[in-house]
Amino acid sequence: MDILASLWDGFAVAVLPINLALLVAGCFAGTLIGALPGLGPVNGVAILIPLTFAFGLNATSSMILLSAVYYGCMYGGRISSILLNIPGDEPAIMTTLDGYPMARKGQAADALAISGVASFIGATLATLGLTLFAPLLAKAAIYFGPADYFALYVMAFATIGGISGTDPRKTLLAALLGLMLGTVGLDPSTGVARYTFGSFNLYDGFDPIVALVGLFAISEILFFLEQKLQDGKLVPPGSVFPRLSRVKEGLGASLRGSAIGFLAGILPGAGASLGAVMAYSLEKRLNDKGSFGTGDPRGVAAPEAGNNAASGGALIPMLTLGVPGSGTTAVMLAMLISLNIQPGPLLFQRSPDLVWGLVAALYLANFVLLVLNLPLIGIFTRVLGLPAWGLMPLVVAISYLGVYAITHAAFDLMVMVGFGLLGFVLRKLDFSLVPVVLGLLLGMDMENNLRRALSISGGDFLILFQSPIALLLYGITGFFLALTLWLSRRDARRLAAETGE
Amino acid sequence: MTDRLAGICFLLLAAGYVWLSAGYTAGFGDPLGPAIFPRMIGIPAILLGLSLAIWPRHNADWAGPAGLLRQAAALVLLLGYALGLEPAGFLPATFAAVLGLGLLMGAPPLRGIATAAIAAAGLYLLFDRLMGLPLPMIGTWFG
Repeated sequence: MDILASLWDGFAVAVLPINLALLVAGCFAGTLIGALPGLGPVNGVAILIPLTFAFGLNATSSMILLSAVYYGCMYGGRISSILLNIPGDEPAIMTTLDGYPMARKGQAADALAISGVASFIGATLATLGLTLFAPLLAKAAIYFGPADYFALYVMAFATIGGISGTDPRKTLLAALLGLMLGTVGLDPSTGVARYTFGSFNLYDGFDPIVALVGLFAISEILFFLEQKLQDGKLVPPGSVFPRLSRVKEGLGASLRGSAIGFLAGILPGAGASLGAVMAYSLEKRLNDKGSFGTGDPRGVAAPEAGNNAASGGALIPMLTLGVPGSGTTAVMLAMLISLNIQPGPLLFQRSPDLVWGLVAALYLANFVLLVLNLPLIGIFTRVLGLPAWGLMPLVVAISYLGVYAITHAAFDLMVMVGFGLLGFVLRKLDFSLVPVVLGLLLGMDMENNLRRALSISGGDFLILFQSPIALLLYGITGFFLALTLWLSRRDARRLAAETGE
Repeated sequence: MTDRLAGICFLLLAAGYVWLSAGYTAGFGDPLGPAIFPRMIGIPAILLGLSLAIWPRHNADWAGPAGLLRQAAALVLLLGYALGLEPAGFLPATFAAVLGLGLLMGAPPLRGIATAAIAAAGLYLLFDRLMGLPLPMIGTWFG
């Protein structure tokens, strides 16, 4: 029962006044960020990271704040999906399918309550899963040697694009681009300056924090300017009090959605969006008698439980292996690495208060979020009326302020804008940004593990393929690559057949 | 078409990257050296870029002329904000940037000015005075 004992210690950390305050603030900010169209968990967490540095928060408090924001976004995303038919963030797209029709039928309060309860169920079950499985995975990961870690990173890069069906070549290219950007600066073991072009500003390489605020927050602004500005029609929430009977209709779907979402979250690269999509399509396949898409409560509950469960699941590989399962966890990983904390199996031994404090905080966050999202939902629906021209420039100002506060250099602000432009162009070209971040983050570690493996073997590259763990990981990588290649071919062919080319 | 261009860009970038790696030579005692890892990632990138240039699959839709102009203006504003934050100071620079971006996003002028003024002053008070992040209130340009 050492898990229970550890968890008890974790609660002692989580209820420290500073952590409790950050938790509530994070839940509130997260729900807000999630509710605002255009801002999602990745942007929200990216904007907040420089601030956590500037305020000198320790790693545990920072992780509690960011995870509360992450969970909060998953709750908040549904609000604008249901009331505006505009997903507040990417994972909430599936919630528009049945949520908005319910709102138009005057059942907005029901839909909000169903999805709020579903979010709670999904997030709580996922946190429970995290509590049980993360220590197990951490124990297994202790047997990983340098060659195995190298193989693990290869797998992470090959699979991070997920099975989304976008061109797998682009995912790999994005990862390689990130790795290339990661080699800029002084080589840690030989002291050779690589790709700095004589600029001393680049000797430390690109600060991942600066890069990802640019990639996720600044590029979003450029994206936003592209759309024709159209304000959705806000459906009035109607009756304030949800009916308990409607909430009950969504319970089964919530449980099934949670299970699927949790699995999707653990898989590298899949993340919350896939969790929501898979949960919705399974529910539809099981129960659809023509009511899905017209305001079926199960169609609201399943994707919400799915995306909340996936966000909990995504924390598992990030904490135990140091390989994130989603974009947002990749950004959190950046923060931990910048605080000189290397996630991985040893994290559970070296910083138990961080791991268990975080897990305990997640349980508490769910209750805070349930309160924020059921009785206090009115605050957040009012926010949706705020105009984008007032909010988006604020995001820019906060990004600049945060980055400037940690670096005090105009050069880093320019780097941030540069990464913003890069992120915009890459997204336009259908490249995913998560592999870029991951490459930038893990590149140095990947090279170091390769170095360590080679110095064990005296320079023989065969050592990379001698451990059974590494071979297993390469096998999984190969299988995954073949699967994505096959899926994307199939999609391309189907597309060609549809457009008649 | 955009896929072909992207492929060619990646090809050139990766080729230059691998070519530059030849200049990085190791001292002694390091089994890998500073050039091998860049080649291990550069060469696959060359091949993938080439494949993308030969077999493109996706074509990006760019914004119309008005949208592109708005994006270019925003980029100029963002760069100006980055360069101007220190010399102009946080208050004037933030006011200008929030106002400019707000107008680009369709803010009515008067309400945009009011929002920018409140945002600049509010963020300064909140972060510098209340939470203790040192920000340059007024820069060297103004005194």
